[in-house]
Amino acid sequence: MRVLAYELRRLRGLRSTWLILAAVLLCDAAVAAVLARQVPDGALAVPTAVRSVAAAVPLLPLPIAALGAGALGALSYGHEVRHPGLAASRVAFGRRVGLLVGKSVVIGAVSAALAVVTLLLDAVAVRLALPSSVDPAPAFRPDVFGSDPAGLLAAGAPGRPLLAFALLVVVGGWAGLLTTSLVRSAAAGLLVLCALPVLLEPAVGMILRQAGRYWPAWVRELLPFQYGLDWVRGEPGAAAVGPDPVLFAALAAPVLVLLVAAVLAQVRRRAL
Amino acid sequence: MIQITGLTKVYRRGRPPALLDLGFDARPGAVTVLLGDEGAGKTTALRLMVELERGLGITLFDGRTYRRLRRPERELGVLLPSSRPTAGHPGQRARSHLRMLAGAVGVPARRADELLEQTRLAAVADHRLRSFSPGMHRRMALAAALLGDPKALLLDDPTEGLSPRNEEWFHSFLRSFAVAGGTLVVTTRSPQEAAAFGDRVVTLDRGRMLADQPVAEFRRTRLHPEVAVRGPQMARLADLLVGHGAQVRRDGGAGLAVSGIGRTEIGELAYRHGILLHELADRVVEQPAPRVVLPTGSGRSGQVRVRSRHRDAEPVPAARPQSPPAAVPGEPSSGGPLFEEPLPRVSRSRRPSQESLVPVVERSGAGLPGRESGAADAPTAVIPSVAAAETEAERTVVLGPPVAAGPDLRPMRRSVPPLFRDEQHHRTEPEPEPEPEP
Repeated sequence: MRVLAYELRRLRGLRSTWLILAAVLLCDAAVAAVLARQVPDGALAVPTAVRSVAAAVPLLPLPIAALGAGALGALSYGHEVRHPGLAASRVAFGRRVGLLVGKSVVIGAVSAALAVVTLLLDAVAVRLALPSSVDPAPAFRPDVFGSDPAGLLAAGAPGRPLLAFALLVVVGGWAGLLTTSLVRSAAAGLLVLCALPVLLEPAVGMILRQAGRYWPAWVRELLPFQYGLDWVRGEPGAAAVGPDPVLFAALAAPVLVLLVAAVLAQVRRRAL
Repeated sequence: MIQITGLTKVYRRGRPPALLDLGFDARPGAVTVLLGDEGAGKTTALRLMVELERGLGITLFDGRTYRRLRRPERELGVLLPSSRPTAGHPGQRARSHLRMLAGAVGVPARRADELLEQTRLAAVADHRLRSFSPGMHRRMALAAALLGDPKALLLDDPTEGLSPRNEEWFHSFLRSFAVAGGTLVVTTRSPQEAAAFGDRVVTLDRGRMLADQPVAEFRRTRLHPEVAVRGPQMARLADLLVGHGAQVRRDGGAGLAVSGIGRTEIGELAYRHGILLHELADRVVEQPAPRVVLPTGSGRSGQVRVRSRHRDAEPVPAARPQSPPAAVPGEPSSGGPLFEEPLPRVSRSRRPSQESLVPVVERSGAGLPGRESGAADAPTAVIPSVAAAETEAERTVVLGPPVAAGPDLRPMRRSVPPLFRDEQHHRTEPEPEPEPEP
């Protein structure tokens, strides 16, 4: 509890936190509006709507919200390295891991909140920015949001990619924290975080291909390099339907490796 | 109660240890000062005590090591220098910074406000740390160390680089902490500060513990009051003073440093004899710490300078008129082989230089500087003397044992008036080989 209080007060007391959050929301809204302006005429397809709302630009390795969450995580650890408030009481391994867990909890919560707020704000921005020639009915049906959750998470519905987006934002925050804990510098940690998807997406895609699977559509919509890869390898096969153990293993393995590396690094150290 | 036993740190194999076998006790209600120059191992000692570095030795805080303390912030407040002079993130406000740390320590937020009051930062509590001065940063760091209301404090050079006003505030604040029953371990570089502030002074030099003294003993042996006198007729005054039993040393161009006689007496003496004085002031001179001794024959022990002490009544050994009277002190062999006869035992080597490498910790009680036991232990046979006094009628200036070779206590090097001619440097030789007179 003490760690949570510490981390919450730390986040609240810094101006950079609020600046990052505001910048993420503004950028996301702007990008979503721009994407909405470019939607082709006709009925609004669900994948296009999802991509607009998530503001996933193929230029960036991660969605903007995930990058912002990663920056929060990186700065959170970088603060402890640059300005250790109580360096002496962080000597014991247990305390350091406790602090890391506390930071993960707070950063995860903040990231999840950021994802939700981003989605709501972007939905409004997209709805307002849609050209008049586009029919928003298929994606912005009122009954989608009013219907039961199972229907929302069905294969064609927007629920699943949006959930994946929120998960990606939270994982981005954690990854920023953990990569910074490995390199002990917020800037370097953020750079490593940006490099991770570039390395991981083709690697995991290749592993999946070996297993005879492909990125499911709801993941592909959010990943940055889908276009290039699809172009190189031709059309992917049918999208995976339902939860797939191989897919989850492939997604969880990098996360686990990062976690283990961070804990091992703490074992070797005397300070955060 | 902090018990420190055998703290040792070797940064690289084969290098001399940064800290060797440091051990002392810090008692509640007392200020223990770790005194030493840059690189003496003070910060290393503190970092080893809270196990921020790997090393040997054990430090017990009320019987537990730092890691085993259940609430370390409640037991021990630590103020260690960081690579940055700031107490926290420069963009944070002082109040929010302290409240954040209060959250980590587990004390209510109003404790942070209390400490801001106590450290005289309440008025600026809502400003960002970016705009704080070094003294304010130091007070912030002290407030952070005090958050858990600890029973002991470890402070690394809390007053270094601060203004005199801040320094004074720190001293009074920490003194009141100790009076309230807290245990306090403070490092410092300045012996004056150690004498003014500490109750017990542990002297470190290049990682070795030289002495662990109560402050009264420290003042007696390491600090030396003297009177600075300046004026146009100093030679005459020096003669008078020596006649009154004072110890006189030349100090700069037209000055004397007098010890063994009070300031008022010097003034009266000068007045009675019509000697004009330009300056008459008390001051405290630091005596150099006894050096860690290298083993004999290591090739470096021959460079140790030792100043001997003459008395008027002492027989002058073998006056040599042909030897240049104003021999340059650093090179006494320039006028041919001058060394002849070892000094009588009265002469004091203030450095027990030729002893073998005795573990210094054991010696620290007995071999303190300027004490008779330590001086008597030093073998005097290896100190050849330059027989400098030409005639017996010439009066010699008594060099007291406190006057040793410090940077500011050098004897003059040129144009030696007869009064001071016996102030010479002698070299100790690694081998006691008195060279024969040609």
